[in-house]
Formats: sequence, C-alpha cells, structure tokens
Amino acid sequence: MINYTEILKEEKMKLFKENKVVNWHEHIWDDGSGKLNEELCDCFVEAARKAYMDVVVCSLPVSGGEPDPDTIKRKNDVIAQAMDRHPGFIKGLAFVNPGYSREAVAEIERCVNELGMIGIKLYNQYFISDPVLHPVIEKCIELDIPILEHAGKLRSLPNVQPFLSDGTHFAKAAEKYPDAVIIMAHIGGGGDWQWQLKAIADYPNIYTDISGSVYDEGIIEQTVHYLGAERVLFGTDGSFSQGIGKLLAANIPEKDKIEILNNTKFARYLERGAK
Amino acid sequence: MLIDINTYIGHWPFRQLRNNAAQGLLSLMDKYGVDMAAVSSLNAVFYKDTQEGNLELIEEIKDNKDRFIPLAVINPKYAAWEKDFRYCVEKLGMKGLELYPYYHNYDLTEPEPVELIRLAGEMNIPVHLPCAIVNVRQRHWMDTNDNLDLGQVEKLLSLCPDTDFIISNGPSHINAQQLKNASEGRRGRVYYDFARVEVFTLRSSATDFETLVKYAGIDHIVFGSVMPFQYGDPQFVRLAYAGLSEEDMEKVTSGNLKRLFRL
Repeated sequence: MINYTEILKEEKMKLFKENKVVNWHEHIWDDGSGKLNEELCDCFVEAARKAYMDVVVCSLPVSGGEPDPDTIKRKNDVIAQAMDRHPGFIKGLAFVNPGYSREAVAEIERCVNELGMIGIKLYNQYFISDPVLHPVIEKCIELDIPILEHAGKLRSLPNVQPFLSDGTHFAKAAEKYPDAVIIMAHIGGGGDWQWQLKAIADYPNIYTDISGSVYDEGIIEQTVHYLGAERVLFGTDGSFSQGIGKLLAANIPEKDKIEILNNTKFARYLERGAK
Repeated sequence: MLIDINTYIGHWPFRQLRNNAAQGLLSLMDKYGVDMAAVSSLNAVFYKDTQEGNLELIEEIKDNKDRFIPLAVINPKYAAWEKDFRYCVEKLGMKGLELYPYYHNYDLTEPEPVELIRLAGEMNIPVHLPCAIVNVRQRHWMDTNDNLDLGQVEKLLSLCPDTDFIISNGPSHINAQQLKNASEGRRGRVYYDFARVEVFTLRSSATDFETLVKYAGIDHIVFGSVMPFQYGDPQFVRLAYAGLSEEDMEKVTSGNLKRLFRL
C-alpha cells in the first residue's frame, strides 16, 4: 500500500513549491490594545512560508455591529504595521464600513494612496447590492482595486448575520457595476456553495476565493466548472490544511491549479503599493 | 499501515455523492493508501428501521471484509434496538456502534441510549459519535440544524464509564479540552480524530493539533477522513505538517485503532 503522506510531501506539494502562490484571503490580528500582535503575525508568516506561499493578502475586518471610522482606522493601521514588518510578503486590504459613506471613501483613499494597500474588504454590515455601497464601489472602480466581501448562503439557524450577502446580492451589484472587480469570499466558508456558484456563474466580474474550512469532495471541480479557473483565487481564511488540501485533491488540469494559485488577472494589483 | 475511523457507504439525500458504494470507496482508499476503514451505512441514518441499512452494508462489503470495519447504526429510541444491536455484533460481526442523536431526535443521556451504550461497553464494542456528517452552515432545508451535543457527551462519560468512545469530525482540540476532566478516571477511553484540526500556527503560537495532543494524548488520536463526503488530501496535509515522530505517526495512523478494535 502506498504512503500518501510521503507522496503529498515529496511530490504533490511541488505544485506550491514550484509556482507562485498568492493567498488572497487571510487575516492578521491586533493584540487587544489596538497594536499589531507581532508574535502571532510572525508565527503566521512562518507558517505561510512553510506552505510555500509567496504573498498573503490580509485584512482586519470588524465582524459585527456598525464600527465607527476611528475604530476602522485603527484596524487598518494594524494591517499597515504588518505590511511594514513583512514587506512584499503581506499585502493589505482596507476594511471599511459603507454606512459611513464619506469616511469610507476617504479611508479607502488613505489606505491605498498613503499606506499602499491593494484593495478593500467589506464584511456583513450591508448587502453588497445595497445602494449605500455605491460610493464605495465607484471609488474602487476609479482606483482600479478589487473588492473582497464576506459572503455566504447559510442554512443554519438562528440567522446571526441578517445582512450577509449571498450570490444573488453579488449578481445584482455586478450587474449595476460591470467594471467593478468583486470577489465573493470563501466558497468553502459560506454555507451552500452550490447556491453561491450558480448565482454568480453568469457575471464575469465576480470572482471567488477557495478559502474556508469546508473541503467537500467536488467543491473545486464545480467552482472551476461554473466560473472557469480565471475567476478563482487561492485563499485560506484561517484554514491552511483545507485550502492547500482541496486544491491538491481537485480533479482539474494542472494549468488551472497554477492559475488559481496566482491568478493572472490579479497580478497587476500585487505590483502596486510601496510597502 | 493506515486505518480510517470515519467513512460511509450509501445514499445522501441532500447532495450528489460520488464513490459512495463499496467499490468507489475502495478506489478512494487505494488512492490514499488506506488499508482498512471503519464504515457505516448512510441509509441506516435515514431509514426508520436502521437495521435495514446495517444489513445492506454487510451485503455491500461482503467481498472485501478484510478492508472494512463495519459499524452498526442503531436508534435506541426505536423498537427492538437491543435485539438489533446484539444481532449486528454477534451474527453480522460488526465491530462498533455509531449513534446519531441529532438525526434520531433523542438526548444521549436518556435511559435507552445509556442502556445501549453501557451494553456496548460490556461487549467491548466502541461507540463512534460523529459530531456531524456535513457542516451545519450548508445543510439542506430539510436536514437537521443540530450537531453532536458535547454537554450530553460529558454527562455520558460518567454514566457509561466502561465504554470506549471515538468523537470525530468536529473541533477535536476544543472537544478534548472540554471533556478532559470527564474522561479521566474511567476504564473506557476517549479517542478523537483530526478532520477539523489545523496543524499550522495561524492564530496562536501553538497549533490546534498540539492542543489536541495536550488534552487527548497521542495515544487517543486517530485518522478519520469522512470519505466520500470530503477530499482526502487535507488529512494528509495535516499528517505531513504535524511534525510527528515516526512512533507517534504509527499510533495516529493505525496503532491506536488497532488497539481499540483489537485488530
């Protein structure tokens, strides 16, 4: 009988070792006093390097309530500290709350133009199709930066995220803004992934990342079937073993795996930012 | 040698499954180098009379008895559960008991499940308690909204002190911590798989796997894939990066289950 652990370590991981690996969905944490948790940040980077990642795109969203502009600035400053600590390896996404429309647009400009971030992160404060997002989306189109939004079609009860965007909300936003580059987050972390894929399949400016703890057999094959590899990004969102393992396991062409690991449509974003 | 504690054969009503018959599962086992797999009947979970599913499973695996360790799915709230369980062990040669309180709608500490689990202990039959079959966030609207209730398990450990348990497909590092005190001083042992346990240092300086070892002990950690529901590779990423010594690797991949099932 074969030793698959050895095969994975010695043969299959060459996919990661020999190709550029860009992880588009991760997080860096603060230490409770609002500063970067340097120890955790360094542990994280060490783990990412061990898994042959070359660039990790990180954000620090506030996952509940209506965070105010000052809180948000502090969170984004933590990401900037992580970018400074690991230049070129950690790239940043600016988290904003679209409910503070004017401040959100100003924060995007600060984070991109002054701190060198390469996109924005939205959480579940509003559906992505809500008109309150229009100024934020328009600013991202103007700056040519991607929007990564937390997403899911959750079946579990109670519903603790009433404004969580599912694929149909993304489709509406993409229809109104065909020039926006929108990433529907974590196909493996947003509940009913079949619903999510079917809802966004016909909207070419919606992408997804493969992050999340779910590694159902067939999830990657179906994602590529509905979207094509050119609309799929590698990501982990706190689940390295699953993110790496599901891509290794997927029965898709090697060239598609390489494209997912370093999506060529997103290469231009990585070249930006002084940090 | 590699032994898998958690695989299924049968129909899943809520999503198309591939490789869910014996030959398909064997092809996955061969691909991943799994020598033997504990297997249960998905049909038994959903039939009113679970015994029909158990009998189907035995028929399905009859040509490959050396590769499978059949586990009996019993609903202790259904008529003749004791007779069915004894038949599964004594006549069908089934090696373990698998329970689904969240599908069969009972509390593990009710009299009938406690009686069944004590009986399993007396017969040296381990009890497998999967925390879930699929992730709760993505379930079908007709599926259950519940997972294994660890509070019930905690009480069960003292109600049935002689029974061996395997708790799988959940956050084992957290579960082992919660059940540590209740697991001590019993004759029966408590085992955990690592199908939902991270081996990289992402959110603390210790990995979740290290936490699992700390609270469960390396002698109580076993391999579980949840095939054919899930890809096998993430489990092997964990094995490749957990940093286990050769001796500990042997325990986790086969030694602990060999001991448990007396193989």
